[in-house]
Amino acid sequence: MKQLIEKILKAGTLLSTFGFIGSTLIQIYARFFMDSAPSWTEEASRFFFVYAMSFAAGLALKDNYYVYLDVLYAKLKSPARRLVDISVHLTTIALFMVLGIYAIQYVVLGIPEKSPSLGFPMAVAFVSMVVMSLSIVIYAVYELKSSLNKKHD
Amino acid sequence: MISVLIVVFLICLLLRFPIAFSLGLSCLVYVLLKGIPLIILPAKMYSGIDVFILLSIPGFILSGNLMNHGGLTEKIITFCNHLMGHIRGGLALANIGASMLFAGISGTAVSDTASIGAVMIPAMKKEGYGAGFSCAVTASSSTVGPIIPPSVPMIIAATLSGLSVGRLFLAGALPGFLLGLGMMVVAYYISRKKNYPKHPRSSFKQIALGFLDTFWSLLMTFIILFGIIGGVFTPTEASIIAVFYALVIGTFVYKRLNFKNIGHIVLDSMKTSASLMVLVGFANLFGWILLTERLPQAISENILGFSQNKYMVLLLINILLIFIGTFMETIAALLVLFPILLKVAMAVEVDPIHFAVIAVLNLMIGLTTPPVGVCLFVSSSIGKVSMSEVSKASLPFLAVSFLVLALVTLVPELSLFLPRLFMD
Repeated sequence: MKQLIEKILKAGTLLSTFGFIGSTLIQIYARFFMDSAPSWTEEASRFFFVYAMSFAAGLALKDNYYVYLDVLYAKLKSPARRLVDISVHLTTIALFMVLGIYAIQYVVLGIPEKSPSLGFPMAVAFVSMVVMSLSIVIYAVYELKSSLNKKHD
Repeated sequence: MISVLIVVFLICLLLRFPIAFSLGLSCLVYVLLKGIPLIILPAKMYSGIDVFILLSIPGFILSGNLMNHGGLTEKIITFCNHLMGHIRGGLALANIGASMLFAGISGTAVSDTASIGAVMIPAMKKEGYGAGFSCAVTASSSTVGPIIPPSVPMIIAATLSGLSVGRLFLAGALPGFLLGLGMMVVAYYISRKKNYPKHPRSSFKQIALGFLDTFWSLLMTFIILFGIIGGVFTPTEASIIAVFYALVIGTFVYKRLNFKNIGHIVLDSMKTSASLMVLVGFANLFGWILLTERLPQAISENILGFSQNKYMVLLLINILLIFIGTFMETIAALLVLFPILLKVAMAVEVDPIHFAVIAVLNLMIGLTTPPVGVCLFVSSSIGKVSMSEVSKASLPFLAVSFLVLALVTLVPELSLFLPRLFMD
């Protein structure tokens, strides 16, 4: 299951990245070699970019890319560190679950709203916020499990 | 109510929450206590990230990583060593020179410390340089990177203020060069005093070959810079051109890129960018809360109430930014503080471009200010030296940084000369 989730998130990140690189390259090409640049390229680039960031957000948590302060934590003893870790993971899960649940409401609000140049419902773009929350919640749960298991080590 | 926001944020930071999540949690607590509909969370998060110019950040990070995978760090170091290795303390000078050249490729100080430090710190130690000195040179010189263009902090400053990215890039060039030069003088002085080694002078052929080896990567910086300044590309387009260019050079010239490692590099770059964008998204909400609480006005009134003297105001801002920069990540500090402090600076008639350079320079200095400077931590762990030893060795470099900061603060032309020359 864990591997499948990772594969989906990696594939989503790669496809969205190639999407925003491709859209921007089309924009540059059209500006130099065609009469006028199509109006949809900038919006498509932003759309792919937000999705790339959303898919990669969970992977970034898994691989420890987020920056944090270590000043107080470094001075704690092992049991206290474990307690802090568990609290951090639980609170992270809560934060992104709230974000995810309200992102669904946000998606619903976006159904009647049309994107200016691509013309699709904005809900499609807003789903990225659900993806971001979900990807972070999943890896925060894995981190929590790993912290809890440390007890038995 | 604003105190709750700040207190929760600080508690989360101390409890080792990622800075991005600390911002998010403090906002969540504030929104809950204020009874604001929670849908504001995804709405502000989305609108914070859905900005075209922010696309240039993953673009520049990806192009830098693609170039670096082609062995660029080693090539730049070898070239600098050919140029300066014959001078006493040549390896230390090459370290600083490499940071200045690498600046155009990477754009973040911590990654410069890590990539250059991994090669230079062991090499310097092996040649008899002091371990603390080797780490201090690496950490201090890496702060030059994000001031010399292309610079991720400058892009963030432009996004927050609506200033031209091209102007900001140019504005950082002279102060960055001055900072690098100042550090070279200090490194040379210490090397002479401690009788650190020098290499035999390289032949012209060696220098020329070293230049050819780094030529393609240096050309990328020029394409980016002159593409933006000349109005040929927008910053976002320039970053994507840089990705395309790095792919071509890495595959066909350096011959180190293939399908497998390209995928790996893309993923790595997107994870770095995503960690920044989650921060940007939450900072958008955090900034909105500060605005609704009229905090920028309150801070502005307090500072201006204390003094209306331009230089006194800038001195206060410098002290605040260096203090914040010692423990807070550069981008996070910029996102939270730059819009507030820009208003204060503009109230005493400081040019916004000039102020952006001052702000970025301050936060960079914070990265090497003991006892918490992040770059010092990174270099001390690479060099396996205690933090106190690196901190002590970094003091002369810190003194130069403060001197350059004072110059940049007092002489606006240092920041404004190039933008006026090329873009007015």
